[in-house]
This record gives sequence, C-alpha cells and structure tokens, in this order.
Amino acid sequence: MTEPNSAPGPTASARRPKRGPHLVLMALYALFILASGSRAIVQIATQFHVAPFAYILSGVAGVTYVVGWFAIRRAAYGKPRLAEVMLWVELAGVVVIGTLSLVKKDWFPDASVWSDYGGGYFWVPAGLPIVALLWLHRTHEKSPEDGEKEATA
Amino acid sequence: MSALVPITWIVVGYAVIVGGAAVLGMVLKAPRPRWLDQMAWMLEGLCVVLGLGALGSLLQGHRPESMSTHVGYLAAVVCIMPVAIGSIREERETWSSGVLAVAALGTAVVAARLMMTR
Repeated sequence: MTEPNSAPGPTASARRPKRGPHLVLMALYALFILASGSRAIVQIATQFHVAPFAYILSGVAGVTYVVGWFAIRRAAYGKPRLAEVMLWVELAGVVVIGTLSLVKKDWFPDASVWSDYGGGYFWVPAGLPIVALLWLHRTHEKSPEDGEKEATA
Repeated sequence: MSALVPITWIVVGYAVIVGGAAVLGMVLKAPRPRWLDQMAWMLEGLCVVLGLGALGSLLQGHRPESMSTHVGYLAAVVCIMPVAIGSIREERETWSSGVLAVAALGTAVVAARLMMTR
C-alpha cells in the first residue's frame, strides 16, 4: 500500500524548488528585509522630518527586498518572470539613488539604505542584484523549458 | 553595561568563526555537517546571554541614545539564527551552509551595532 504523496509525478517535481545558491540569496534578502525595513520604520516613525526623502527611499528599498525575496523564490520554482523585472528594478534603484546621494548631497541630510551604493552595508546592496541576476541567467540558461512551464501555468 | 562589552565581542568573534566554517563547507561543496548546526545553536545560546544582559541593563534604568534602534538590534540578534536554522532544517545540501554563513555573519554585524548603540 502506497501513500498518496509517495509517488513522485511530474506535478510534484515541478513544484519542488531547485536546490542551489538561491537559498543563500534568499537568506541575504531576508537579512536586508530585516535591516532596511526596520531601519525605515524606525526612521519614519521617530524622525521623519529630518530627511523625509531619504527615509521614504529606505522604505522603498525595504519593499523592494520583500518583493525580491518572493521573486527569487518563484524563480527557484521555475517562474523567473517576476525576478527578471524586480532584480533590474532593484539594481536601477541602487545605481540611481547611489548616484543622487553623491551628486545631490542636500537631498540626503541622513543616509538611506542605497546611499553611496549601499556603502553603509558594505556595498552588499549593490552586489546583491548583480549576483542574483547572474544566478537567474545561469539557471534560466540551464532550463529554458522553465519559461514554457510558466507560460502554461 | 560595561560587562556586556566582552560578551558582545565573544559573540562577534564566535559568529565570525561559525560563518567562516559555513563558508568553508560551502567552498568544499560538502553536505552541511551536524556539528555546524551545533555550532550555530551555541552561537544562539551566546546571543540569548547577550540579549538577557542587555535587557537587564535596560531594566536597571540604562537608556541608550536611540531606544528603538537598540531594542531592534536586541531582538534581531536573538532571532536571526533560529529563523535561519528553521528555514533549512530539512535541507542538508551544500548551499544550506551558506544560509548559516549569512545568518552568522549577520549576527556578528548586528551584535557589533548593538554595542555601538548602547
């Protein structure tokens, strides 16, 4: 007598996430959700008037990391479309806000998460979307049928 | 509060060792060993000691420069490692060591920041 879930069928294998570096990427994103999200909440709640633009951008960064975490998880399950968009959005955010923080210093009386290209976080925010895009590119290259799966899902 | 400084440095140093061991396991492409989990739980034990010490200091009337930031770091230093271990408890593949590396190094940074905001 076999249990209902014991036989691995095509549906079960499609739902199972691939093992690999996405675990580390998701851990890093979770860490940045915690870091940037809590930073933004504290700053907006306690000293919003000091640097409203920078603090709102920190909040935006926190939301981006939340969506990025889900996007990488979906990509690991063979649905890379959201990650393809979100990782580029995140990279653009780091580059644009990092550049603005250097060019327009008066707009940033206090630092946001992406100020100086994430220098306050050892420049991990700048490297994270690049590494994630490389992972996505390699994963997608290895299994082009994943896109077809997503299109039919 | 000064008694917390050596405990914090022990946490930071031990977290770096755990993180380094996890990175080494990842580089060697070995399945995550049981002893790495035990090291991670020992780190969590140290974090709890640090957290209790910091909490005791607050209850005795010590007021950090930014209370909300300090309490946030205090909560984070205790919570990061159990969440990380819980997320990979059914995985023993190489990359699961990377999750512990991220959590351990994150704990080190948060513990250092906790000391800076005291």
